[in-house]
Amino acid sequence: MKSKKDVQQGTLALMVLKTLETLGPLHGYGIARRIERISGDLLEVNQGTLYPVLLRLEQEGAVESDWGPSENNRRARFYRITRAGHKLLDSEKRDWEQTAAIIERFFQLKAGDWA
Amino acid sequence: MRALRRLLAKVKNVATGRRADARLREEMEEHLAMQTEENERAGMTREEARRQAQIKLGAIEAIRDRYHEEEGLPLLECLWQDSRFTLRQMRKSPGFTLVTVLTMMLGIGATTAIFTIVYATLLRALPYPRADRIVRIHDVRLQGRSTGGLVGIPRFFDLAARSKSLASAGFFYFDDTTLIAGAQLPVAIKGAGTNAGFWQVFGVNPLLGRTFDQRNDQPNAPMVAVLSYAAWQRYFGGDPGVVGRQVTIEQKSTTIIGVMPKEFSVPAGIDLWRPAQLTPGAWTWRGEGSRFINVVARLAPGVSMESAQSELRRIGDQLRREHADTDGLWQFGMVGMRDDLYGELRPAILVLFIASGFVLLVACINVATLLLARAAAREREVALRRALGASERRIRLQFLTESTLLAITGGLAGLGATFLLVRTLAAKLPGRLAMAGTVEMNWPVLGFAVGLAVACGIGFGLAPAMRNRRPALNLDLKQNEMQVVGKTGGWARNAFISIQVAISLVLLVGASLLGESLWNLLKSPLGFQPEHVLTFRLVLPWNAKPDATREFYANVQRRLEALPGVIAVGQTSALPTEDWHARGNFDADWLPRSDHHDAVNAEVRSISGNLLQALGTPLLAGRELIPADGISKLLGAVVNRTFAQQYLPGGNLIGRRISDDTGSIEIVGVIADVRGTSGSIADKVGPEIYFSADGVTPNPRRSFVVRTQARPEQLVNSIREQVHHVDPQQAIADVATMDQLLDKAVAQPRLNMALMTAFAALTLMLACVGIYGVVAWTVAQRVREIGVRMALGATRSQISLFFLGRSVRATFWGVVAGTAAALLLTRLLRSQLYGVTADNPLVYAIAIPLLLVPVLTATLRPALHAASINPVDALRSE
Repeated sequence: MKSKKDVQQGTLALMVLKTLETLGPLHGYGIARRIERISGDLLEVNQGTLYPVLLRLEQEGAVESDWGPSENNRRARFYRITRAGHKLLDSEKRDWEQTAAIIERFFQLKAGDWA
Repeated sequence: MRALRRLLAKVKNVATGRRADARLREEMEEHLAMQTEENERAGMTREEARRQAQIKLGAIEAIRDRYHEEEGLPLLECLWQDSRFTLRQMRKSPGFTLVTVLTMMLGIGATTAIFTIVYATLLRALPYPRADRIVRIHDVRLQGRSTGGLVGIPRFFDLAARSKSLASAGFFYFDDTTLIAGAQLPVAIKGAGTNAGFWQVFGVNPLLGRTFDQRNDQPNAPMVAVLSYAAWQRYFGGDPGVVGRQVTIEQKSTTIIGVMPKEFSVPAGIDLWRPAQLTPGAWTWRGEGSRFINVVARLAPGVSMESAQSELRRIGDQLRREHADTDGLWQFGMVGMRDDLYGELRPAILVLFIASGFVLLVACINVATLLLARAAAREREVALRRALGASERRIRLQFLTESTLLAITGGLAGLGATFLLVRTLAAKLPGRLAMAGTVEMNWPVLGFAVGLAVACGIGFGLAPAMRNRRPALNLDLKQNEMQVVGKTGGWARNAFISIQVAISLVLLVGASLLGESLWNLLKSPLGFQPEHVLTFRLVLPWNAKPDATREFYANVQRRLEALPGVIAVGQTSALPTEDWHARGNFDADWLPRSDHHDAVNAEVRSISGNLLQALGTPLLAGRELIPADGISKLLGAVVNRTFAQQYLPGGNLIGRRISDDTGSIEIVGVIADVRGTSGSIADKVGPEIYFSADGVTPNPRRSFVVRTQARPEQLVNSIREQVHHVDPQQAIADVATMDQLLDKAVAQPRLNMALMTAFAALTLMLACVGIYGVVAWTVAQRVREIGVRMALGATRSQISLFFLGRSVRATFWGVVAGTAAALLLTRLLRSQLYGVTADNPLVYAIAIPLLLVPVLTATLRPALHAASINPVDALRSE
């Protein structure tokens, strides 16, 4: 059984990967903002939880990171999706779509369909 | 794959001590800065912008924790941290550490020591390929006594020819003889005669040369021999060129063709193997005397033990029909090789293993009590940890780490003690257990000890870990102000006392039973006087001329009798306590004839010289044997008392006759029963009959019994000289005093008794220490309460009785439970008892006071101390 936290973390990892895939290299704050804009309250309070997730992805080899200059010319850590990350994202995406499709079908059922 | 990569990264981080804390801090600082700027742009004041950014980022310390968990292996780090903390604690309270470690050392040491024996006898694979397929086949008499499982030669050949479920069948018999290598003096050696199939059964390759095959096993084939590793070392100095050497064995020229590896010793302690050179056709006589071989076999592939057994039974039934008069009462039996070797020891070993487990259990209970007491004293520490945010799991892990570390330290000490014990004592164990490569330290033993220590550590760590579950933080933190001890765990402490008392009682009863058995074994009349008796053996070749044999033994007899200090000299085919079986069937003139000519079935011995006086066995009726009894037309024989009681109760046997196919025998005398005639002195004596060894076919193998005035060992050299004078080709074998033989005969029961007594004493000691500790601790915890009670008017004796009462009640229940358990468990001991029954009330009458005196003393001391407390001091105490 996965606890609620695990599920959220899994989703968060997926969002991170998707964000990096679409927008290219980003620093933590950048990722947090983009996710916040799209997902609403998931990162409302705890933006910091992003960092353990980033570390985990990095240790799994899905992202790489390096220091680079930020917009206001300070040092920030930039994250970039790797080839393994692309593969991971693809397979996770398929899983999600499959699950979503099944759930979707169930919610569209009417009483008559059960007969 | 991803999980593996992640784990590797974590392991790498832990191993290299890498922490990216600085990086995280910098990242978060940057994050905050950016968010703050953003907020400012949205119109907040600088402070407000910063505050909102911080709220949005979340608790920095929690994130750092999560980040760090992600980075490393948190469980491992906790364990490491807890271990270091525990080691510091152990150093800080050396008394507590010493007591726990010593207690665990005793418990785990005792259990591991017995486990070395359990492993060697009941668990390990015997050192032969596919050893589970090797069986031992016995000849079993359907009624009355068997011949120690020995099989008749013609029955073996019938079995080997008819059986389909045996891949190979082998036999061996003991063939003690003399070896003359080169120009050396003759030495007596332990030999075995075997067939070629014997080597196929075991399938062990020789170290050097080869083993013998069918061609060597033909009658009159040139004689060859295979040496054991021990004999190769002892008599040939481990010379690698020994294969092909000519030696003289049993006065015949023999070629040594091979040397077996160290592990191979079947039968145990043998020096060399020679082909028996027996063929199926050469042996037609099926009578009792043909029953002298030990049969081993390897099951054919795919054949189960059960189907082989039923085939053996079928062949046995066929033989019973075909040879009704000789084989009519016999059937084949079969057991696995391991059971054959160690089956007899199994009950004793299991009992000792259980007993050692009890020692361990009591040790664990003691340590658990100690840890509980400590946990109670550390409640504040735990509450503080909780208040600082330690999780339930984290705290339990800490307690378990502590107890496991203590147990492992104790376990390692116990393992060291076992190692020393095994190093010094393994070779001194009785019987087969002393064989090299049997009882030893090895990886399974090591694994057992460590596993046991960890299990114990977790086991007794659970008690304090569970105790600290109640999350009543504020109460625990305030506890020091209002000490209310004994609110929990009181019943547990009483139960611990009861269990310790019960276990001690069970072991004490066991030890008393074994002790009484050993006493009975040694002190009930043996039928001979073992003091001042020297024994040794001489073996002439089987085919020596009858006249020469008689002449040789008469000469030795005369010369020994003439030695100064010798009182009497006798000869016998087998000494008391020797594992030797030879039975005979006879018709009796006063009994109805039976189909199987076994109106009388008795153990048969051949004797010569002045055996009765030399052994100190009394003559009860009639006369002793004289040389003429062996060669006159009507042979004379002497029987033992059991023979007389069994076959002619109340009557006079003197002058009665028995007969076999060789002729009539007159009974001329009755002697006392001699215990241990066919091995174990614990066996009930059966009917025995003694013939003259100097008959028409005189016995070539004889044991001498020499009774002396002074210490018998002093005579060994002069005896050796005298024998050499008579025949320089002969060597005397197995020189031992009768006392030494008896010692060997009771070595196993004595070991069992000694171990059981040691375990009982250990347990009782541990239990007393434990009970003393519990009561003393309870008193110490309730000093203030005692003060209050006294201030309110309680007398000193009331205080003492209060504490005594609780332990006495627990002790009482312990004695009740222990008695019930002992009555149940001593059934396992039944086969080990001699002259005493397991439910003997006298044993309990001795064991219970033996238990109560130290236990009550242990409770009384702290209870009396409670009464001597000064109420004023007690009330002031904090």
